[in-house]
Amino acid sequence: MDGYIRDSGTDEPLEYVTIYMKESAQGTMTDSLGYFQFKDLCAGHYHLVMSHVGCEAKQTLVELRGDSTLEFFMDHTHAVLEDIVIEGRTSLLSTQEIETINRQAIADHAQQNLSNILESITGVTTLRNGNSISKPVIHGLYGNRITIINNGIPQSGQQWGNDHSPEIDPLVANTVSVVKGTSALEYMGNNLGSLVIVAPAKIGQEPHLHGSARYYFETNGLGHGLNLNLNQSTPAVAWKVNGTLKKAGDRKAAHYFLNNTGSQEANLALQLEKVFSDTWTVDVYASTFNTKLGVLRGSHIGNLTDLSEALTREVPFFTPDTFSYRLEAPMQQVGHHLLKLHSTYIIDASQKIDFTLAGQFNNRKEFDVRRSGRTDIPALSLQQYSFFAEGKYIKSWENGWGLKAGAQFNGIENNNNPETGILPLVPDYLSYESGAYLLISKKYRHFFLDLGARYDRMHQKVATISGTIPRSIIRYDTVYHNLSSSGGFRWLISPNYSISGNLGFTSRNPAINELYSQGLHQGVSGIEEGTLTLTSEQSFKATLGFVAKVNKAIDFESLVYYQAINNYIFLNPQNEIRLTIRGAFPVFKYAQTDAEIFGIDLSSTFRLNHSAYVDIKYSYIQGNDLTQDLPLINIPSNNVMGRIGYQFEKPLKIGKKQLENLEFNVDYRYVFRQNNLLPEQDFVLPPDGYGLLGLNLSTDIQLAKTRLRVTAQVDNLLNTSYRDYLNRQRYFADDWGVNVILGVGVSF
Amino acid sequence: MTYSKAFFIALLGFAIFFTACKDDDPVIPHEEEVITTLKYTLTPTGGGTPVEFSFQDLDGDGGNDPVITGGSLSANQSYTGSIELLNELESPAEDITEEIEEEDEEHQFFFQTNIAGLAIDYADQDANGNPLGLNSTLTTTNAGTGTVTIILRHEPNKTAAGVSDGDITNAGGETDIEVTFDVDVQ
Repeated sequence: MDGYIRDSGTDEPLEYVTIYMKESAQGTMTDSLGYFQFKDLCAGHYHLVMSHVGCEAKQTLVELRGDSTLEFFMDHTHAVLEDIVIEGRTSLLSTQEIETINRQAIADHAQQNLSNILESITGVTTLRNGNSISKPVIHGLYGNRITIINNGIPQSGQQWGNDHSPEIDPLVANTVSVVKGTSALEYMGNNLGSLVIVAPAKIGQEPHLHGSARYYFETNGLGHGLNLNLNQSTPAVAWKVNGTLKKAGDRKAAHYFLNNTGSQEANLALQLEKVFSDTWTVDVYASTFNTKLGVLRGSHIGNLTDLSEALTREVPFFTPDTFSYRLEAPMQQVGHHLLKLHSTYIIDASQKIDFTLAGQFNNRKEFDVRRSGRTDIPALSLQQYSFFAEGKYIKSWENGWGLKAGAQFNGIENNNNPETGILPLVPDYLSYESGAYLLISKKYRHFFLDLGARYDRMHQKVATISGTIPRSIIRYDTVYHNLSSSGGFRWLISPNYSISGNLGFTSRNPAINELYSQGLHQGVSGIEEGTLTLTSEQSFKATLGFVAKVNKAIDFESLVYYQAINNYIFLNPQNEIRLTIRGAFPVFKYAQTDAEIFGIDLSSTFRLNHSAYVDIKYSYIQGNDLTQDLPLINIPSNNVMGRIGYQFEKPLKIGKKQLENLEFNVDYRYVFRQNNLLPEQDFVLPPDGYGLLGLNLSTDIQLAKTRLRVTAQVDNLLNTSYRDYLNRQRYFADDWGVNVILGVGVSF
Repeated sequence: MTYSKAFFIALLGFAIFFTACKDDDPVIPHEEEVITTLKYTLTPTGGGTPVEFSFQDLDGDGGNDPVITGGSLSANQSYTGSIELLNELESPAEDITEEIEEEDEEHQFFFQTNIAGLAIDYADQDANGNPLGLNSTLTTTNAGTGTVTIILRHEPNKTAAGVSDGDITNAGGETDIEVTFDVDVQ
């Protein structure tokens, strides 16, 4: 048996690809023509494992009948950015800017949650409360303005909360992508253009049982995690199971423990695929996500006096001398469960139909420190059921035209459990959203053009409880109409240069919390009030992207964006201090203004030779309230990242074994101080800028039947004390100190 | 086509299961933890008419403004002070004072004033011998006007420096109550 291995992107032969045959325990390597050879084999089935530096290892089953020459393609990654390898935007499928993180990069960072993994993408940051509670911020937008698509389903939970993490296990995913777009027409959900897409892999045709296991240990918080993944394609059905267990205790800032900042997680996902015929496949996906997240004890405060006292302290109240795994109030306990049924029917080579049905159940309980044994009773207890249905039709023509059309429905029932004994912050509601879209695309010479429109109808039925006594139920029934449209182009000037541009309009109706919030938001010591008269936000966003492969040594990408949001909804501090028995609280009311957000994302890779490389990336962003002539709050700080790395092109021999894909790198990330903010817009001035040094090391080792991947990573190597502007914990404590993470993975 | 039958049955079951939304009235939570009322009763030692400071917010946070009643004290007089806490959202009103007594080690009142010569001292202790503050002694000297602030802290560090003397600086914990009364010493 012999064959050639080439790069799927450039079609060039790949040298130094190691190929290992499991059955014969033989290994070989490709030459400069990408050629490899195995001699003296009998006919039969053989598993080949191919690996190459900068690529994800690939396993293939080959049925050998006689002498054969095979041809394989490997996805050679385009640019190495941050700790994570981001695949290039090689596809011509969309004019929107999409960046993807692959499975190996996700597995190598198994200790991180979804948002923290996404942070490696330029232009993506996180809004956090501590470190385990974090949500993605894309081009300055988060929460209600970002949609997360998990397995094709819009994630339905309590996205409005600034301290509510997405309830998704990234280790289930094959890829995690961010669409830094202008208008996400294909997806339901009230977003203003940008999306996070979490996609599990197809199970494949492999008839033997395969799987992988991964374990990590981290020194900060003495965290452990285990992920196990098994899959097999039997004649009856193809199946895959993925489970994750994680546990960590109190994290440590540079000089002290962060009391009650541990976390626990237990997730399981089951995937089934059945091919009924050449034209009809059905798949089922069921997953359960369960987590407990501690909140820094010293950040739990009673009123403004407590807050101003906490702000002056070097070390927060309740800081212990010793480490503990204990998790107590304040704490969040969240479960998210998903069941999905999906079916594809291929009409002919040029058209197909897709159906999806899904149900989700989100159960969120938040515990506060309370009087008289009530600490065990949640202070917030929200249950949300949702039902999603989608039909999609895709058609392409020989002459380059393409069409995609679909319709979706999402019904949500959101209930407060009265067990809290506290008037709810967000009311009970039912909401019904139905929408349809049409997208048209055209490939013409070196151009790819697309144009589309979407309509959504949102019906909200809300039942609030009055703030006055006697308590009574007040009902609201509202319908909103949202229209979105966008158009764009991608122009391949030459194989090495391309420009893309996109222009989109989106409207987003006010969310339940923006309309009906009522009560004290403990975490921020403010009384938050919804405003019934809010109207929909309108966003106009334009992006201009440029990708260049200057030569073999230099890759460069840039993205410039400008977004104007009319009727931008925000929490406006009122000239009112409300007196309660717990003292005085400032009042915040949702209001609307005209806002703008603009910025630029830059990234480039310089290859010094076959092994050494330098990455640099930079992102700049600014947000302004145009009506009031003020900066917008919670806009990410500008930041810059530099990395020097070395990849061993050839495996390193150690005795009989060899270290494949050996790579190490050093990175430095500097986050600038947020200077675009006035002192009166926050309780304290934004923290100073900070720089963090990191180290990464990774390698693969082929054993007889299994393959090992070993990683070592050091975050905040110099144990720098710092605070980050978008981390609410900065009012009370420093961010994490040094953390060493060791990981080992086995695949078979 | 048994497979497709099964598929459509599953589909239908799915749809029924997830569309069974209800539009019932939400259950109004039983707000038993709320403190609506604080009464600070000052009885002159040696007898006389007691003075009562009170803070009353009958609908809890939000809604209508609280009613705050201060009072007049005599100069050069000492008073026995006692604090009563109520939840008047419940009927009959629930006595929250008992909850504080039961968890005396986790609570402490602090008294602050800007009236010269006015002092408030603890007259009770928790199970560990640290001050609590449900009972106190107030003494006045010269005439003057100003305010008296009563703070209740939950889970303070009672052994931190100065806390047992009534200094709140190092106490930590969360504020459960913070009310200020206008006081006139005549």
